[in-house]
Amino acid sequence: MSISRRKFLGLIGSAGVGTAVSNSVFAASNKHFTGYPESFAVLHDSVRCVGCRQCEEACNKVNDLPEPDQPFSDASVLDKKRRTTAKAYTVVNRHDRAKDGIAPVFNKTQCNHCLEPACASACFVKAFKKTKTGAVTYDASVCVGCRYCMMACPFDIPAYEYDNALSPKVVKCTMCQPRILEGKLPGCVESCPREALVFGKRDDLIKIARNRIARYPKNYVDHIYGEHEMGGTSWMYLSGVAFQKIGMREDLGIKPAPELTSGALSVVPMVAALWPVLLTGVYAITKRKEKIENEEKNQAVNSAIKATKAVAELKIGEALAKAEKEQEEIVEKAVKSAVDNAVKANTEEAA
Amino acid sequence: MVITRLTVVLTVLAVAVILYGSVQAFDQPSQDSGQKRADIIKIDGMKSFGNLERSGVVFLHDLHTSALQKVDKDCTACHLSDNSKLSLKFKRLKDTSKNEVMNIYHDNCISCHVEVAGKGDKSGPTTCGECHVKTSAYVASGQPPTFDKSLHYRHSKSQENKCELCHHEYDNSTKKLIYKEGQEGSCRYCHKDVNEENRMSMKSASHIACIDCHQKTLKNKMEAGPVQCGGCHDPDSPNTINRTDIKNIVDVPRMERKQPDFTMVKTDVNDKEQKGVMDSVPFDHKAHEGYNDSCIVCHHKDLTSCSSCHSIEGKKEGGFISLEQVMHNPDAKESCVGCHESKKKDKDCAGCHELMGKHSNNSSNCGKCHMEQVGNMKEATTSHKSKTDKSARLAEMMLKSRTPITATYNDEDIPEKILIKDLSNKYEPVEFPHRKIVKALVNNINNNKLASYFHAEKGTICQGCHHNTPPGKQPPRCVSCHVKQAQDKGSFKIGLMGAYHLQCMGCHKEMGMEKPVSCTDCHKEKAHEPKK
Amino acid sequence: MDEIAIIAPEKRLFTPFNIVSGIIVLMGLIITVIRFTKGLGAVTNLSDYNPWGIWIGFDLLVGVALAAGGYVTSAAVYIFGLKRFHFAVRPAVLTGFLGYLFVVIALTYDVGRPWRLPYPFIMQSGTTSLLFEVAACVSLYLTVLFLEFSPAALEWLGLKKARKLAVNLTIVLTIFGVILSTLHQSSLGALFLIAPSKLHPLWYSPYLPVFFFISSIVAGLSMVIFESSLSSRFFIDKMDSAHIAGKDQLILGFGKAASVVLAGYFAIKVIGVSAGDNWHLLATPYGIWFLVELLGFVALPCLLYAIGVRDRNLKLIKWTSLLAVLGIILNRFNVSLVAFNWHLPSNERYFPHWMEIGISLFIVTLGILVFRFIVTRMPIFYEHPDYPEEH
Repeated sequence: MSISRRKFLGLIGSAGVGTAVSNSVFAASNKHFTGYPESFAVLHDSVRCVGCRQCEEACNKVNDLPEPDQPFSDASVLDKKRRTTAKAYTVVNRHDRAKDGIAPVFNKTQCNHCLEPACASACFVKAFKKTKTGAVTYDASVCVGCRYCMMACPFDIPAYEYDNALSPKVVKCTMCQPRILEGKLPGCVESCPREALVFGKRDDLIKIARNRIARYPKNYVDHIYGEHEMGGTSWMYLSGVAFQKIGMREDLGIKPAPELTSGALSVVPMVAALWPVLLTGVYAITKRKEKIENEEKNQAVNSAIKATKAVAELKIGEALAKAEKEQEEIVEKAVKSAVDNAVKANTEEAA
Repeated sequence: MVITRLTVVLTVLAVAVILYGSVQAFDQPSQDSGQKRADIIKIDGMKSFGNLERSGVVFLHDLHTSALQKVDKDCTACHLSDNSKLSLKFKRLKDTSKNEVMNIYHDNCISCHVEVAGKGDKSGPTTCGECHVKTSAYVASGQPPTFDKSLHYRHSKSQENKCELCHHEYDNSTKKLIYKEGQEGSCRYCHKDVNEENRMSMKSASHIACIDCHQKTLKNKMEAGPVQCGGCHDPDSPNTINRTDIKNIVDVPRMERKQPDFTMVKTDVNDKEQKGVMDSVPFDHKAHEGYNDSCIVCHHKDLTSCSSCHSIEGKKEGGFISLEQVMHNPDAKESCVGCHESKKKDKDCAGCHELMGKHSNNSSNCGKCHMEQVGNMKEATTSHKSKTDKSARLAEMMLKSRTPITATYNDEDIPEKILIKDLSNKYEPVEFPHRKIVKALVNNINNNKLASYFHAEKGTICQGCHHNTPPGKQPPRCVSCHVKQAQDKGSFKIGLMGAYHLQCMGCHKEMGMEKPVSCTDCHKEKAHEPKK
Repeated sequence: MDEIAIIAPEKRLFTPFNIVSGIIVLMGLIITVIRFTKGLGAVTNLSDYNPWGIWIGFDLLVGVALAAGGYVTSAAVYIFGLKRFHFAVRPAVLTGFLGYLFVVIALTYDVGRPWRLPYPFIMQSGTTSLLFEVAACVSLYLTVLFLEFSPAALEWLGLKKARKLAVNLTIVLTIFGVILSTLHQSSLGALFLIAPSKLHPLWYSPYLPVFFFISSIVAGLSMVIFESSLSSRFFIDKMDSAHIAGKDQLILGFGKAASVVLAGYFAIKVIGVSAGDNWHLLATPYGIWFLVELLGFVALPCLLYAIGVRDRNLKLIKWTSLLAVLGIILNRFNVSLVAFNWHLPSNERYFPHWMEIGISLFIVTLGILVFRFIVTRMPIFYEHPDYPEEH
């Protein structure tokens, strides 16, 4: 026990240092990521959960959240379906299964701390980070409040302080990251009277979950929710009924969120690089077309001028020739008439 | 002026908003479950000729039977007979072609409906869409009936033990059904789910034989079994065969087929000496007949001994399932262990056994069934001549030698109350009525022969809660294994709080106890807790 | 004397337009105060399930799409050499500039801490986020539009040297503008790629960015037609002869282009349905709604544009442009609001608060007022007499 505890603390320490030193976090990048080795996780066994809401109360306490409208001991809260809010990082819901002829099933909802979180991938100021302890943390000091993380989260977890005018925060379960770093258990896990929540290394928890399914095959659905969903999560679930029936989506697939947008992102540099080439090309063609058009126009004008000139010259030539001819004719005529006149005069003189 | 532009923008917004609202409105799922009926027959047999052009017709059989009865018509109004047996098909003996079958339905159904309507009586539909509906207003709720010992007894009594009326075999040479005395078995041994060559399906066989006989009996003005669907298929029907007042005949006599009262189940029939194998298991056949509804529960294929198909190595007849597997497969309901395992699910037992998980048997239990013979037993059987009689007598003696001792420690060794103070920062300590619980559990065991045989050791019952420890008067405290922290981080062993809650509440739930509903059912509120 | 008589009523303060816009502006200012003192919760119906409402769905998505006229027109004129439409560049660029400006202004209402809007560029950049790309491109493009628009303002101010510098940048700015527009118009669609589990499969498609980009071209072309027909009604006195003479040609030319692009858009939308193999969903209520959008607001305007161009029916083209613009609005609303969170029960769905609509109206009104202010003062619909034929 003491050894395992020391090991545990050592691990926590290194994880903490690791988070502090290393800035490169792959969990939100486009690379395939299967989780930080040795990272922590929580297993929620809804077969064990009895809906006592001790986890909600503990969460409220350790996170200094405002007192709820109805006390935690009031079971009537469970009559309505609830979700996580800015005032409750985690909620337990009751799912009546009278139709299946079984007692109600309780299920706890909180941030699932995805291995590759959609929120971290969506955040344009990197306010969310997947840390090496397994927790997905949020940094309010850079958050702009665009709420794209809330749009992106497939589990509908992040909530928002809509009533805070000047410094609203996105709010979600922190996996009790500060407590983990101190070597403590997350508040909800510590408070669970039936150990429906187990905290430990993710790899170990998967083994425990498999073991339970094998040992109580009739009590469990043969599936660990969160082992692969959305690329895997650090909060996993066991259930005795289909997960869909206890309000969990089974249609999310196993593709991590960043992969959904990586294609669109990879096109960006292509557009940025190729568009200028393309557009300049089009522009050049347009310009060239204009230039050719201009040249053709000029040519046409020139040839037109030339043609006119030629015609004109021809005409002038003809006119000149004609004029010459006429001149000659006139001269000839004049000579002739002069000769005639002279002949006439000579004949008259002779007669 | 520019107002026009503003109006345009406003209209755009308004249109979008209204359209959006309407989308929300038509996104309302409608869920209506139909009326439950046990007599639904889906007329879609034409499927065998290719895809249906329209949806199949939901036909209410009992509705028609009753209506015809009122006008003094019987089954022959719809069913033709072949060799004096009514065909199960409507107005035909065989499915010939798609068109022919379709016409038979269309012509006969519609003409009858028209005729009845012509007389001014209430009648059925006459247009296509009324019969061929996509979603029916009815939900089929028919259940397969079980022909149990009690029903068998009622039949054999009323038919004066004329077994041949129902039991028969098919003689291949004469191509006739013959009756062989002493060879009777369950109908299901031959009649399977679908028609085979020279073998009707169970469905056809039972409908033809049962209803035919019931009809004839009724004609002779005698009391008879049901002739309408609901009588057999609707457990909620007022004249169902499963009526509890008729069914619960006290002490149904055994079905006699020369079966033994006791038998010795050998672990290897080929090994004469029975050496180097497990001891044989004495088996109380008669008692087990009483525990089950019919023979087929164990004798799933025929009424021979298990070893005729299942040997120690496994053989072809038994699907190569060995005798060991057959007897011990915890998941098979026909096997000894499988059936006994399922008894652990009873409310009285599940409190302890559910938490133990699957197949929690330990090797010390083997000898409970594979009993060692005591020397003088063998001698006592010498007077019996045949070998079978000898082993049967031996089995009987061995079984009788069992003395189910349901006992645990004396009262003074069982603490009466235990105070659990671990959550005393929040609540008053829990007062755990230890002895009362032990006594209740002992009482449950006493009421059950199987349980009392397996809980004979004094410490066995303690181990339901004080698990994973050697039995004894003073088991270690819970905290010696379960740490006080919320969770044992190193080993994942359940912490103390988890152990208590899982054990106490798990047991309460499995035993069907109403309490606890809330924390304060066990943990009394602290007397004057200062509010923070 | 006559001139004075015509102008005089214009100078009256209490025209119906002024009264209505005055009321809207007043209301907008009041809601603004509430928004920044009581928080988003007081003025919106946004919830934890529905973090984005009409301030994103209308103000951002529709606003950016409808402001696409700027890049479409300047690309047509400067890059594809359709010089005869040169007169249309300035109004389109102005609309684009104002459109983007007011998108950014609207965003300051929607985001939690608007003064942190530059954080993605000055604090730390979430480069894996498509929103980062949108933010980067929109802010750059706003600058580009400002520069593209600046010659008009500089002419008005009489700063000849600065104006000459700005004019010289025209072609570079145009190319830059097209790149940025391609990127952020498509990225607005790509924003929804991360939520396949929330957006109805008929609208969700890996081609969403392409859909958004292509439809932004339709939006740009249609908006230029729509706006030119409105302007020629209200600002005809500001237009020079070139503008008046060319606008019919513009409407025909852009109508033809819009028809072709809409046909392409229709085709890729159908491909989108096939690629997801979602045909069976068309028979559901959402499927019918999808068909309304696809047939009524894509196929129909495509056809009407084609008929209008063939028959040289300007009136039909003008009305079709309105239909096409409505189609774009409908599409953006469908993606961001109607088909988003479709799996939630109706009591968890979003419907805008009247104050949200109020702010959207306020922003649109402000845009119109600023547009009116500028076109009545700066050379938008006419060539500045000092700079004839200088392009």
